[in-house]
Formats: sequence, C-alpha cells, structure tokens
Amino acid sequence: MTEELTSAGRPFTHYHAAHCESGVTSALFRDKGVDLSEAMVFGIGSGIFFGHLPFVKWVGLPITTFRSRPGTLFSKVAKRLGGDFFTRKYRNARKGMDDLRQALRQGHIVGLTTNIYWLSYFPNRFRFQFNGHNIVVLREIENGFRVSDPVLEHPVDCLTEDLERARFARGPLEPRGFMYYARSVPSHPDLRKACIAAMKDSCNMMLRIPFPFVGLRGMRWLAKATIASPDKLGFQEACRRLANIVRMQEEVGTGGAGFRFMYAAFLQEAAALFSSSELSDLSREMTAIGDIWREFAVVAARIIKQRGQSDQTFAKAGGLMLICAGREEQLFKDLDRIARKLKA
Amino acid sequence: MKITDVPQDITYYEGEKRACYALDEKGNYVVVPSAGWAAEEVVNRLAVEELAVRLEETRKAVLAGLKSPLCYHMERRQMNPDILGKTAGLALFRVKRHFRPDIFAKLKPSVLNRYAQALAVSIDELTTVPKQPPERESQP
Repeated sequence: MTEELTSAGRPFTHYHAAHCESGVTSALFRDKGVDLSEAMVFGIGSGIFFGHLPFVKWVGLPITTFRSRPGTLFSKVAKRLGGDFFTRKYRNARKGMDDLRQALRQGHIVGLTTNIYWLSYFPNRFRFQFNGHNIVVLREIENGFRVSDPVLEHPVDCLTEDLERARFARGPLEPRGFMYYARSVPSHPDLRKACIAAMKDSCNMMLRIPFPFVGLRGMRWLAKATIASPDKLGFQEACRRLANIVRMQEEVGTGGAGFRFMYAAFLQEAAALFSSSELSDLSREMTAIGDIWREFAVVAARIIKQRGQSDQTFAKAGGLMLICAGREEQLFKDLDRIARKLKA
Repeated sequence: MKITDVPQDITYYEGEKRACYALDEKGNYVVVPSAGWAAEEVVNRLAVEELAVRLEETRKAVLAGLKSPLCYHMERRQMNPDILGKTAGLALFRVKRHFRPDIFAKLKPSVLNRYAQALAVSIDELTTVPKQPPERESQP
C-alpha cells in the first residue's frame, strides 16, 4: 500500500494487486469510496476461466488462458454492481491523449488498456507484445504521467511518448486507446446479488460451453495433448508448449496457480458475505486445486530444465492436469448447486 | 499456499515484487509480495532465450547481406510483419518485400521515416545493425 495524490488532490491508496484488470477495477471503486478487494472484483467479474486456443498462435505458440477474455471483467463488474462509467475507444491518438488529460483535470482517475511492451518502467523480462494490460493514471506530471500499475508494488512515472505508443499499439486485441473511469458508483452496491450472478456465470463458462477447447473440456483436451506431445511434436517443441502453459499460469500476473488462489480468496469473502459454510469448504477445495497446479508447474520446470534427464515425465504433468480438471469439475458443479440456493 | 510457501527464490524482477495470494495462520487469504519463483524463472528464461537466439541469427543474416536491417529491428521490438505493417501504415506485402536488402536500400526517406516512427528508433539506427551481439539482460 502506498499513498499518492490524484490530480484533484485527493489521496489515493495504491494496492498491490496480482492481476491488472481486477486491480484497476478495484482501484476505480475504491477511489469512489466503495471498498472492494481485488479478489471480490475478480469473482464478480467472473474472471476465472480456462481456455486453450490451438489455432490462434502467439509468438508461434498456441494460447492457453486461465482467465476470461481481457476487457470482459471490467464490463461485467460494471454491469453487475451498477454505476455510471465513461468508456471509449479512439481512432485518433491525439484525441485520445487530449481526452485523457481532460478527464484527469476533472479530477478522475482513469483506467487505460495498454500494450505491455511499450511500458518501459516494466522489468525487461516481462515486456512482451501483449495488448491487454490495464493501468490507472493518477495525474499528469512533467513529460509524462503518474501511473498506478496494480501489478507493481508502488506507483511509477510513465513518459507521455511511451504511454501513447502503449495505448495505440496495433496487433491482436488492439486496445485502440481504450479509456474508462467512473462518473459515479452506488455507495452500497448489492454485492450478494452480483456474487450469485457471477458464480452462475463462471459455472456456465467452465461447465457448459459446447466447444472442446474451453472450460473443463479444454483442460482435459490440453492434458491429453500434453501427454502425447513428446511423441507427436518431438521433445524440444513439446517443452516449448509446456513452458508456454506454465508461463500463462504463473507469470502473467495471476496471483499464483492460474488465478485459482485468487478465486479461492473470492470464495472465502463470499462465504463471509453469505455466512455460508459450504462456500468456505469450496474455498478450501479451490486452494487445494491451486496447490496441484503449482505442483504441475514444478514438474514442468524440472522436465524443461533437465532436458529429459529427470524422472519427471510429460505423462505425469498431463496426469496432474487431469486431476485438476476432475476436481474443478466437481467444484464448479457444487458451486452451481449452492449458488442457485443462495438468496440475494 | 501458505504465507511461508510464497516463493522468495530469486530476485529477477529487477527489484520489483509480484503479488501472490496465500493463506495466513488463521486460514484467511492475504496478498503477499513474492520476489520470484524458480519454476517460473525456468519457463521465462526459455522464452527470453528463444527470442535472443532468433534475434542473434537475424543480426548475423543482416551482416551477411541476406536480410535487411528492418527485419532485425522488427524482431528486436518483438513484432511480426503484420503488427509492423499496421503500426507503420504499410501493406503487409510491402513490409515483407522490404526485408530484402537490395529493396530496403532503395527506400524513400518518407517510407524509412514511417518505419523509424513505428519502431521508435532513429533512421541511422534503422539502416544498420549492431556489429557486436547485444548484451544479454539489456535486450530489448
């Protein structure tokens, strides 16, 4: 937590968050005096997901995702909690930057979608062409902006030139300068209703999408593909694929275990909200599943590091993923049943 | 994951820390800063090294006169021809054509300018590649 000032001279508390989009959304609500934790926002936005897109390549590798599509989390939270949000995309970069300055002058803190490569305050190792990173701009400073990037521990300075490039970067998932801020939010949003809707939505996404590469079907598909991969693709390529899964799970700002721990934190908060012991049981189960995902990452890292010399095998890594799939399926079925019983 | 299990293995985030969710002694979730995890470092290294190796191959190809410097600078920015074309406002087939050194050498300053802007490099940089391989950690 770090104290900062916004352009309106209000104090702003920077919270260290695991994930960018939930961190930004949480910051926008907190700035309006509604204290919502990141985990709560993540749950209400139905952020948890699983998907594997074998035909969509990113640096030559299929995309594996443990979260919902970038951008949907914010809009779902805004819809479920109510509130009046300004959102806009721009064709013209200059207009986009002018509007940002104007919104800051009016005293708002502004959320932006950016390309992570052009944000030079990031450690070099994390700068990849990825267009779905979200940040909060607090105020304009000389030659740049004061930025609260939720995945960093402290607010940082960002050059105007970098920010403009980052906002208007081209390529997959173009941000097109997407900018959003809260005009007003309800001071006592109906969290219970929002939680129930969000849980049902998450269960639908995990259990019922009739498409083989998403939800638990996708997880099983990927597990089987991983087991077969060294024979099918050769050891080198199989390692690359496996490494990519682990990167998506751990590295891309997930709070550990591909958002599973964050969702467990949400379930814990929801359990307190509804005083439901069943939900706290589910939270514990989700933590246990997250621990298996961490084990999967450890096994994968050993395979890659020792280049096939270790006793760890792709079959074991895939097997752990199948265990996760089985337990998550049960968890989401239980959650679906419980969410239907809960009263708003 | 308990607070004591939050990995603090290595500090390769260049001093930054990342937030992890972990359980405290009472079983409540809290956010704990993590310095880095060895398992994650392995997979990140694989990705970073792969890029570095490919960039080095391109640099040598440029020095050997097989590819144009444009190709090197595109890869340095981790772009592909599609992203570069859109950023510079040029058609994809032209971008690909400009990877040929003989054609790149004859480009008009206006086109070079577009590439220089898109890649955030000066025109002098754009038309050359470093003679020595770049330092490991300071890439990109």
